Amino acid sequence: METLAFLAYVLYLAIIVGGGFVAVTNPNLVRALIGLVAAMFGVAGMYFLMNAPFVGLMQLLIYVGAISVLIFFAIMLTRPPAGGEERATSRRRPLAFVAAATPVVLLGAVCLRAFKQTVDVPAETGIKELGQGLLGTYGLAFELISVVLLVAMAGAVLLGFKRREEA
Amino acid sequence: MIDPQLLRILVALVGILVFVALNALALVYAERKIAGHVQRRPGPYEVGPHGILQPLVDGLKLMGKQLTTPKDADPVIFWLAPIMCFMPVALCMLPIPFGPNLVALKLDLGIVLILAFAGFGVLSLCLAGWGSNNKWSLLGAARSVAQNVAYEIPLLLSVLSVAFMTGSLDLATISAGQGALPWQWNALLNPLGFIIYFICALAETNRAPFDLPEAESELTAGFHTEYSGMGFGLFFMAEYANMVVVCSVATVLFLGGWNGPFAPGWWWFLLKMYALIFLIIQIRWTYPRVRFDQLLNLCWRWLVPLALVNLVYVTIIVKL
Repeated sequence: METLAFLAYVLYLAIIVGGGFVAVTNPNLVRALIGLVAAMFGVAGMYFLMNAPFVGLMQLLIYVGAISVLIFFAIMLTRPPAGGEERATSRRRPLAFVAAATPVVLLGAVCLRAFKQTVDVPAETGIKELGQGLLGTYGLAFELISVVLLVAMAGAVLLGFKRREEA
Repeated sequence: MIDPQLLRILVALVGILVFVALNALALVYAERKIAGHVQRRPGPYEVGPHGILQPLVDGLKLMGKQLTTPKDADPVIFWLAPIMCFMPVALCMLPIPFGPNLVALKLDLGIVLILAFAGFGVLSLCLAGWGSNNKWSLLGAARSVAQNVAYEIPLLLSVLSVAFMTGSLDLATISAGQGALPWQWNALLNPLGFIIYFICALAETNRAPFDLPEAESELTAGFHTEYSGMGFGLFFMAEYANMVVVCSVATVLFLGGWNGPFAPGWWWFLLKMYALIFLIIQIRWTYPRVRFDQLLNLCWRWLVPLALVNLVYVTIIVKL
């Protein structure tokens, strides 16, 4: 069973890394989106491996089912030439690299310090406990995240209106 | 050596694929016969007695056809789409309890799993439309996205109202929670939820009057215009399998699942499910297609507020 889990881990890791690579390097936006979807799919697999099926299914429902479709919608609105080169100028590449590396270093450091490596499968948390935890113990953090989403949405609407006035 | 749970899922997957294939044959025949009788003609009549072998012959024809990729189309995306459309449907059937013990995967989150994998369908339609390098296909994909964003919310809200009533996301528990008699079923305890779910299910399966992504009179065949042979066949099978999935979920959530006035068992489940499919087929051949803005107005102006009101109503009833 342990080797099976390890094989699954390697498989999901390969999907995540491969998908991420395609998402970053492919000049065609739709193909890059496919890579992104594959990476999200792999992350969902990791959640299943960690015995967190609810989080895994939510990952599929929200990211693969909804967010990627919205990204696709946005790509269609920009109307790039089919099969054409859509890569922007690469002047911002170093900045993008810094932006991507910062969370990796910070979160990685936290993970390495805070969590011990284990081989045991963590106990499955029922959705009831999960819900009580989210709305009870961690209620403040939960509400803060929704405020962040609200701010992002309001900001997007504001930016949209400003663009329209300029045009 | 082999985990019995894993073995059970593998056996069930094979069973489900056979079930899906047989269903597609039977439903294609039913669809054409019902269409014929609605339009006062006999439907397929020549191959076999009353044309009963027609779908089999159609299937063989589809398999024998050449697979062509359009010029300048994106071959990877083009062929990924039909496979991506078909595979999740088989997974969606895993947690459906056909009978008290006739379920492939006992899962506390059955309904969430179905909703999660149902989302793949729209993505595959988008990819098919995009990868075909065809204006009609692209228009079909664009419609499919806008339609999906509109119906998904009331669909989730109506499912949520049933989850509130039962206090569970497990399909078997939801089935068992409803009584044997029709007035103990959620459809009569929560009629608004059932109607909203059913309308959204029609949109989810791209069936008329909401078949805008393929709309054969406007867009040739919409997202699958360019597909030949089994590429089209997979989309077709996925559509019928999707109908089976949404009707099974409706049966479980609203019509009491395997419960019946006497002798509860999987036959009641299949009876209710096929009755719903019959209704869906009849609706297709009775009503004209809605216009695009009509669909969006219906979903955003009527179904979303009604589903929210229904959710509040159900919460109050449950709390009392």
